[in-house]
Amino acid sequence: MQTQSLAPEKLRKQVVSRAIRNIKRGNTDDDSRRGMFRPEIRLDLQRSRLMTESYRETEGQPMVLRRAKALANILNKMGIFIREYERIVGYQTADPNGIFHPIEQNWKSPQRLVNSEAGRTLLDDAGKKELDELCAYWKGKSISDRHQASLPAHLKKYWTYEGTFLWTQLSELGIPNYKKLFKLGLNGLISEIKQKISALDQEIPGDYLEQKNFLEAAVISLQAVIDFAGRYSALAENSAAKEENEKRKKILEEIARTCRRVPANPPGTFIEAVQFFYFIHLVRYLEYSTLGIGVRIDHIFRPYYEKDLAEKRITKEETLGILQLLWIKLNELGLVYSPTVSSVYGGVASLQAVTIGGTDENGKDVTNDLTYLTLEAAKSLKIIEPSIALRLHEGTPDEVYSKAADVIKTGIGYPSLFNDEALIPLFERWGITGRDAEQYAISGCVYIEIPGKNVVRRSVGYFVLPKCLWWALHQGVNPKTGEQHGARTPDPATFKDWRDVLEAYAEQVKFFTNKIEQLERINNELLAEHCPRPFYSAVLDGCIEQGKDCRKWVYDSMVHHFAQVIGGTNVADAITAIKKVVFEDKKVTLTELITIMDENWKGREDIRQACLDAPKFGNDDDYADQIAGEVQVRGEAAMESVKDRFGLSHRGDGSAVSATYGLAIDTPATADGRLDGEPFADSTLAPAPGRDKNGPTAVLKSVSKINTVDTFNHLLNQKILPEFLEDDLKPVFLGYLKTWKELNIPHIQFNVVDKQTLLRAKAEPEKYSDLIVRVAGFSAYFVDLSSGLQDHIIARTEQSLR
Amino acid sequence: MQSSESDKDIKGLIFNIQKFSIHDGPGIRTTVFMKGCPLKCLWCSNPESQAFSINLIVRDINCRRCGVCVQACPQGAITIDKNSGRKIDWQKCNSCLICVDSCLYHSLNRCGRYVTVPQVLEELIQDKLFYKNSGGGITISGGEPLSQSRFVSALLAECKKQGLHTALETSGHGRWDEMKNVLRFVDLVLFDIKHLDADEHQRMTGVKNHLILDNLRKAASQSRIWLRVPLIAGFNDSAEHLEKIAELGKEIGAQKISLLPYHEGGKSKCEQLGLTYGFAEGKAPDEEDIHRLKRIIEKSGLTASVGN
Repeated sequence: MQTQSLAPEKLRKQVVSRAIRNIKRGNTDDDSRRGMFRPEIRLDLQRSRLMTESYRETEGQPMVLRRAKALANILNKMGIFIREYERIVGYQTADPNGIFHPIEQNWKSPQRLVNSEAGRTLLDDAGKKELDELCAYWKGKSISDRHQASLPAHLKKYWTYEGTFLWTQLSELGIPNYKKLFKLGLNGLISEIKQKISALDQEIPGDYLEQKNFLEAAVISLQAVIDFAGRYSALAENSAAKEENEKRKKILEEIARTCRRVPANPPGTFIEAVQFFYFIHLVRYLEYSTLGIGVRIDHIFRPYYEKDLAEKRITKEETLGILQLLWIKLNELGLVYSPTVSSVYGGVASLQAVTIGGTDENGKDVTNDLTYLTLEAAKSLKIIEPSIALRLHEGTPDEVYSKAADVIKTGIGYPSLFNDEALIPLFERWGITGRDAEQYAISGCVYIEIPGKNVVRRSVGYFVLPKCLWWALHQGVNPKTGEQHGARTPDPATFKDWRDVLEAYAEQVKFFTNKIEQLERINNELLAEHCPRPFYSAVLDGCIEQGKDCRKWVYDSMVHHFAQVIGGTNVADAITAIKKVVFEDKKVTLTELITIMDENWKGREDIRQACLDAPKFGNDDDYADQIAGEVQVRGEAAMESVKDRFGLSHRGDGSAVSATYGLAIDTPATADGRLDGEPFADSTLAPAPGRDKNGPTAVLKSVSKINTVDTFNHLLNQKILPEFLEDDLKPVFLGYLKTWKELNIPHIQFNVVDKQTLLRAKAEPEKYSDLIVRVAGFSAYFVDLSSGLQDHIIARTEQSLR
Repeated sequence: MQSSESDKDIKGLIFNIQKFSIHDGPGIRTTVFMKGCPLKCLWCSNPESQAFSINLIVRDINCRRCGVCVQACPQGAITIDKNSGRKIDWQKCNSCLICVDSCLYHSLNRCGRYVTVPQVLEELIQDKLFYKNSGGGITISGGEPLSQSRFVSALLAECKKQGLHTALETSGHGRWDEMKNVLRFVDLVLFDIKHLDADEHQRMTGVKNHLILDNLRKAASQSRIWLRVPLIAGFNDSAEHLEKIAELGKEIGAQKISLLPYHEGGKSKCEQLGLTYGFAEGKAPDEEDIHRLKRIIEKSGLTASVGN
């Protein structure tokens, strides 16, 4: 079949970027006049409308059934369309420029947004009126309302962002078990559930009703997805009948066939497998506005591709075309956030990553044509999402490194590289069994997941570690108000050496992690009660078997709660500077230093310079690197000492997105010489901006001294000049990557753009609307970022060649 | 042969150790820049390497005009003007460097430091893994390394003991017996050829080239050689001259000829050192010419590269 109606350049133009703009830094405005979205984006109310309609009709019924019926109502009635170049179909909204917001979670944010300058283009007056009516229904019923109403008085103040952590309600991840789904088809899955129901009817266990309600809800949801595909099949068939262009007619007929067959039945071809996947991905997102992808493209789709190829149904070139179309589809998702949360998601659309490479269930390298074609699709399109997570292990062929370097060279910021030999021992320590650990995938940023095994996993909040150090130096008391907000740690005047500082810091980390957990615990209980996910539960392992919604139990080896930690390097450098300047050189006492920092170094530039001159992480200097290693380990241990309702540890994760800039505004001066409000190091393993003076090899050497297994799940950003990837230097770059691998560093990703280009793009945004930069674990259009965040990216040390 | 006891104590004067050098020989390298050079090339891109002693280098961008250095300077060589900023009277400066210690902001700095072989070696072996994976190693550059041949050969000997690939970047201007001693520990020589005509050479570098060419032929009989030609428009970029260089390259069995187009990098550094940049008219040949010159070399059967 003729593959593609549009070349990559034209296809790229079909992407409507739903990337969010960071319009706040913490509680402070940050160029909000730009608007939270590009002006062509519209808030689409159909999901909210159909969900509310269903909820009104199902009052009084068990919640799990209400959720299933609401999803079915949406899928049965939402407006659908097929764009003129499409071969893979399905859309989140009734309009190609639409974006939805999950009103049942929180109605205040969108209502406030559309009535503010930052959201003025999202909705017209009639839309605003309808939104008000919908909001009126959800008042007191949304998860956010219920959460605030449930908080005990002492916890309320921690719900409000104050600078130490930003608790976030929505972020939920997870990867369906696509292998199983492809094997059974949804019809097969429904049969399985129906058998389970029959067995239940015989057995009548103690939780019979709960199980049965859940399983029936699962059937309703799955049937709704099959019917949803059927609607697309009918639409395609109708369109084909009217279509005069023979080529297009054939494609529409193919769409009609494909959507009749999947997801009801197991896919028989590559295009069917891709369409199957996309329906599941889309519905997962419509059921509960969620992030990430995580599908292992070259592993999951391989049998279908190879069968097509062997039976001469497909060519490599056509496969590339299908992957390009899939790429465009994946760019159609997006989320609406509150203005404060925008400060941590600057430039993000829906934080999606696909995974390639790594090993299969037999430990064999998975590399095949699809590995290279996935990289090629990304290279040809150059759009911000999905990011590609490339798993590298000892058996990865050199050719994969080489192809990866070619894609990195384009400057799109991915593939982002993950080191199996460094990470799998970490997952094992988390309690993930060996077999599961080897199946890991990345769903977005550095979110590690085990396909099919994640029940619920949340990114619970953005956690500002330097602010914890600040509390440690103030005994947990806010000096402005005198209020005891953090833990009551000892008076710094009594500290004998830097280890006392570290102890107090770890105590504060534990204290605030506990607050995050308490907020989270109530939220999880509310979600389990008011927001079950029958569809998503059905596509995971274990829920059907147990007759339990995914929120009600936890998979044995799953890591449950992650907070995104930021500024760990600044904490390490600050403690190093305290060791050097206070306890060794005795230039000031610790109490004096605290007073000087409270005044933002005013009048004591000499002390600030002494702190700046102290050894810094990132220079292959053991003095600083060893302290950094210890600080990072202690930080993670403090977080892990706090357990969630299933008894699982909280952990730190490096998927900090734009928080290193956005939330740094609310942390006063730190002892590494940082000024009040200055951004932190841009990733958990990166040196603080401008503090690495010895080049990229020294950075990797320093980073390799942080023990992967005992610390956070890290992220490392490196900015390099395009020159380093030019043809004659490519072998050198590959040598650098091989060394990264050998040094056992868990992760690395690159921003490949020179400073001059960024400066020009800042000055003349209209000429650089397609310029992509890596912000944290995701890529963004540079022009969507606030001026301050642009400066933060410009200021990252450029690893230059002299 | 010197005893290793005394080798440990020899001091070398360097002005920089540059990690992740990828233009000074194959792979990822660390380059040690020796300080002091007998040549005075007009286009010198590392003027801080010229003096054989530690001298003052200023970074105006760091200056906060606090005035501490004005008080500190015993010579009264520093003044601060509200509008034009800090000025150094370089005639008065005697490089006592007292001002450097007074400056909080690293605006006044020492150019150069004395180091021992073990000190340098410790830094060089830090990137051993990178050398291994990229086919790199260490390069001794300058300044002129041959001017500190005893230190350099002691350092290189230690590098060879560590199994590191070693390169020497040299103008070739030094005593043959010293060069010979150094070359025992060198895997690759990056040999600069500025001009094949002795008078032209003297006009632009201050010395004639007989010793250099003599040393080149001797060195070639025992070491791998890459010739490096700084390309300066109107001085050494004629086709005839490049043909001669290619001929020389073939005669001595050079593995590669690198063309390094002139750049103005030395100009701002001269200002920071109180030196006069003597090459205001300096220019690189244009892209097309460079390409043409590269082809001349390639036609002769030798490998050519531009920039590294």
